[in-house]
Amino acid sequence: METREFLSAARIDAAMMTAWIEAGWLGPHCKSGEFLDIDVARAGLIRDLTDIGVNDEGIPVILNLVDQLHGLRRALHEVVLAVRAQPETRRSRVSRPDSPY
Amino acid sequence: MPTDPYQTLGVSKDASQEAIQKAYRRLAKKFHPDLNPGNKQAEDKFKDISAAYDLLGDPQKRPRFDRGEIDASGAERPRQRYYRDFADAGTSNPYASDDGFADFGNAEDLFSEVFGRRGRTNLRMRGQDVHYNLELDFLDAINGGKQQLTLPDGSVLDVAIPPGTRDGQVLRLRGKGRPGIGGGPPGDALIEIHVRPHRIFTRKGDDIHVELPVSLREAVLGGKVRVPTPSGEVTMSVPKWANTGAVLRLKARGVPRPDGSRGDEYVTLKVMLPETPDPELERFIAQWRPAAAERERETTKA
Repeated sequence: METREFLSAARIDAAMMTAWIEAGWLGPHCKSGEFLDIDVARAGLIRDLTDIGVNDEGIPVILNLVDQLHGLRRALHEVVLAVRAQPETRRSRVSRPDSPY
Repeated sequence: MPTDPYQTLGVSKDASQEAIQKAYRRLAKKFHPDLNPGNKQAEDKFKDISAAYDLLGDPQKRPRFDRGEIDASGAERPRQRYYRDFADAGTSNPYASDDGFADFGNAEDLFSEVFGRRGRTNLRMRGQDVHYNLELDFLDAINGGKQQLTLPDGSVLDVAIPPGTRDGQVLRLRGKGRPGIGGGPPGDALIEIHVRPHRIFTRKGDDIHVELPVSLREAVLGGKVRVPTPSGEVTMSVPKWANTGAVLRLKARGVPRPDGSRGDEYVTLKVMLPETPDPELERFIAQWRPAAAERERETTKA
């Protein structure tokens, strides 16, 4: 989507958008003026964080941890799918924390 | 069904704007869906909290709600989708981060390690044992000591030979085998001992057998003789009339045992004539007519 549409969907103004891109809170791909749905949602998160009192120093810390958390969730999801694809005998061994395998 | 926004935020009807904002922030920090990506209930909870705050946090709307001009349901506004809905989707996320598990190796490695897709199920494995042969001199095996074993790679292994080591015995050197895999302990070095035969000693169990040549004079008259043992020469008394084949025992002069005791040494006598012909002995024997000589030979035949 284009900048105007993005600003209205994210309910922020152009100055905020520029500052957030400068700070790296929004990805470098936003500099071209092309925005994705995920950018709208990310901007919404940044706005919410500001609303609940997170200051400018805290925002990148939270964004970084949230992104890591999603990376781990994706990895864990793949692990779960892969475990489910195993035969029952092997699955039961995987689920036992004291199993040496 | 919207509940009382004051109750949702956990504040009293006469709470200050500041107290309402504080309550909202506290709850939002706890229930924001993007701070709880795995908790589906957080979304509903947060929706109620933000709806309540939309009403009560707005100094214009709050008195109208208090007067009953608007109700809580009207305050619900359509909410944009949360960041977690996109971030969790994976593939096309430009903000995706592997930093949370980058130290596990890359993602492909992570999964192949966990599931052993290429047969790598045993992440932690003890290293293999390595077998070596070590040839020892007879006395080195019996008396023990340090030996050096040169390995095929040129390195040298110090091997402590315990006293009394037997031919065919296997010494185990803990941790001197191949290194472990994935943090597993190393294997052991197993050293099979081969003992070279000795010129005069033979070993049977913990006892040493030796054949001792004695002179005709010593055999007939008896006397003290020097006898080799694995730990050096000792003096032994040969009784009178000790014949070839007589066995004398030297107590505790054999092989050392682990408990500190020793086996015995058995000395088998072998009567020897002098190396060079002795005319005096020949004359003496010529005059000597033993009555029993023929009978002795008969016995041997039978």
